[in-house]
Amino acid sequence: MAAVTDGRVPGRSRITGHDEIADPRGIRVTLVPGAAAGPAAAELPAIVVAPADAPGTVLVDGRPRAVSLTTLGTERAVLVHADDPGHRTAVTLLPVAAPGGPGHGIARREVIVDGWRFEVDLEPAARAALRARARRGREELGESGPTEVRAIIPGVVVSVAVTAGDAVSAGQQLLVVEAMKMQNELRAPRDGSIERVAVASGAKIEVGDLLLVLV
Amino acid sequence: MGRALSLRKDVAETPPFQRILIANRGEIAIRIIRACHEMGMEAIAVHSDADAAGAHVRLADRAVRIGPAAPAESYLNFGAILDAARATGAEAIHPGYGFLAERAAFARAVVEAGMVFVGPPAQAIDALGDKLHARRIAKSVGVAAVPGTLEPAALDRPDQVEAILAEAEAIGFPLLVKAAAGGGGRGMRRVATAAELPAALVSGSHEAASAFGDGAVYLEREISPARHIEVQLLGDAGGRIIALGERDCSLQRRHQKLVEEAPAPGLTTAERRQLHELATRVATAAGLTNAATAEFLRSPDGAFHFLEVNTRLQVEHGVTELVTGVDIVREQFLLAAGRPLSAAALDAAQRAAEPAGHAIEVRLSAEDPARDFAPAPGRVTRWIMPAGPGVRVDTAIQAGDRVPPEYDNLIAKVMVHASDRGAAIDRLRRALDEVEVAGIQTTLPFHRAVARSASFRDGDLSTGWVGEHWAGPTSFAQAAEIAQLAAGLAALGEGPPTRSAGMGLGDRAAAAPDMDDAWFRAGLEAAQDRWPR
Repeated sequence: MAAVTDGRVPGRSRITGHDEIADPRGIRVTLVPGAAAGPAAAELPAIVVAPADAPGTVLVDGRPRAVSLTTLGTERAVLVHADDPGHRTAVTLLPVAAPGGPGHGIARREVIVDGWRFEVDLEPAARAALRARARRGREELGESGPTEVRAIIPGVVVSVAVTAGDAVSAGQQLLVVEAMKMQNELRAPRDGSIERVAVASGAKIEVGDLLLVLV
Repeated sequence: MGRALSLRKDVAETPPFQRILIANRGEIAIRIIRACHEMGMEAIAVHSDADAAGAHVRLADRAVRIGPAAPAESYLNFGAILDAARATGAEAIHPGYGFLAERAAFARAVVEAGMVFVGPPAQAIDALGDKLHARRIAKSVGVAAVPGTLEPAALDRPDQVEAILAEAEAIGFPLLVKAAAGGGGRGMRRVATAAELPAALVSGSHEAASAFGDGAVYLEREISPARHIEVQLLGDAGGRIIALGERDCSLQRRHQKLVEEAPAPGLTTAERRQLHELATRVATAAGLTNAATAEFLRSPDGAFHFLEVNTRLQVEHGVTELVTGVDIVREQFLLAAGRPLSAAALDAAQRAAEPAGHAIEVRLSAEDPARDFAPAPGRVTRWIMPAGPGVRVDTAIQAGDRVPPEYDNLIAKVMVHASDRGAAIDRLRRALDEVEVAGIQTTLPFHRAVARSASFRDGDLSTGWVGEHWAGPTSFAQAAEIAQLAAGLAALGEGPPTRSAGMGLGDRAAAAPDMDDAWFRAGLEAAQDRWPR
């Protein structure tokens, strides 16, 4: 079995060619049984990590890389970079409840590397292939569908700068959310127009709440 | 129970009070409760509904609920706090920092209720809380403030626009529009050209009015690059004011401090003496007592410019305690009871210009340093703090605690103390390597980078340091790649997750029936769980 990582910049959501948001969640690693360098894996726009013949080596994009993981108990591990003597990275791998509950093939791990925290989803190859196909489908449609902008932090909406029907350009301020004594500006992820504003000034919001819809 | 009849035999000195109410939460409430217990005083905690199980509640001798989670209805609620103090028989109230610490009206209400406010008197808070007034006090005693105006900009007088523009030209661009009642960067606007000034004045005033209920704004020159250096002050009722040395707090983002150290590196003994003298001169003119901090900016030519006085215990008071050996909170209680400055404090002030040893504090916060230090509240699932020689950690967090979104995002102050600055940085690096937090993102990656930075080690500090030296997204992306590799390698070792067995990429037909509700739901939730795009 081999691991295939999502080919996009790790942990970053690409937003219609404009700036990228670093996203510590939703990072995927796809598990492929057997040799990963087969033709089907090549269809995935992914970095392919596969077992190599030499011990302590894996194939990354078909090239051997001398990295190995030494587990220390159940939650800690050390990533050993054998091609750079002495270079080790301490990693903490914690189980997290899988999205949607157990039984659909996704395992989620909280991974901590040098103080950074990630949520990595380990998913079966077939699901990854479907996702890749769906993404290609979306790209062909030109991503013209509505974008739901949701809250990424809990807090209170202190001002809303747009109303339904407004045309906005990427980067334009949409609303301001106050959380932990700080005012956080939410900016338009892309050009478009506001179809609906779902919150008003003064509204208390939780993570995931719909704020507005951009078309 | 009268003082003379105290049954406690474990406290040698008579405590200044019997019972203290702490009008705060989190790590500072715990810091103050510890001082109370060391001095043989009872500590009364207050808490909102969000903090009913808070660490400060568990540590206090008694605890009183004062309202719902929203600060305005709990920790800022004068009435509820005074009622709690009366009901429990508290003799004094310590406000900590933030919340009511610099509300003159609260200090006055405490005194009117027959209790002691542990902090500077209300009139000094009033005089120094208005930054314009503080600037005028400094000028009156010959202490140079940051160049700028001394009166509020007359925004309601269209005929004054020309006069304001002329003043701005005289100060020079770029300049800052600042709120007279301000703090934490609220109401502050940077203005690069005269054309931007009118809009900045209006929006700055608007923000100040909504944040502080006072829309008065003034102009100040932007000193850049600047170092932020502040002086710890203590004063007794007899009018004696001393400086306990200075701290460098230059590493900031959005005018919020990230790293503080004592003493400020690179100053000569003469420069320290001069700075301490400037600070005590302003404090004396303002009638300050108890504990306060005078803040200055140091321009590249070495000149100190007075910025403001904070009439409270500072977040970063611990580094001064480590270097001087003076317990500032203990001093506050003794001073509040009318006692003179202690021999230990006077002795430390004598040596303040020639400090021995060095202390550094980093503020570990629930923030994402890859996304411009955006708030990242949540539940802490793992919490390992450093220990060992020369390490002090002030925190209220334990594993399993929730960092509530309603309050400040500071979760721990990690402080180190060593014989000199180089050894302190070595110790900081070692201590931060021991830290492990899971469940929430913290500023730990930033602080580890600071501890390894050659520029920081060289003492090349300025308020622009974070913008110039911190590459958060790059550090994040590198760690993300390792996280993926490690998770993948771990999964290779563990074997496939439950349902992937037998589902190769070629098995599309076999995969199709698996697109059942669980998959669909999982996919939908995964999509909803992501950042907006």
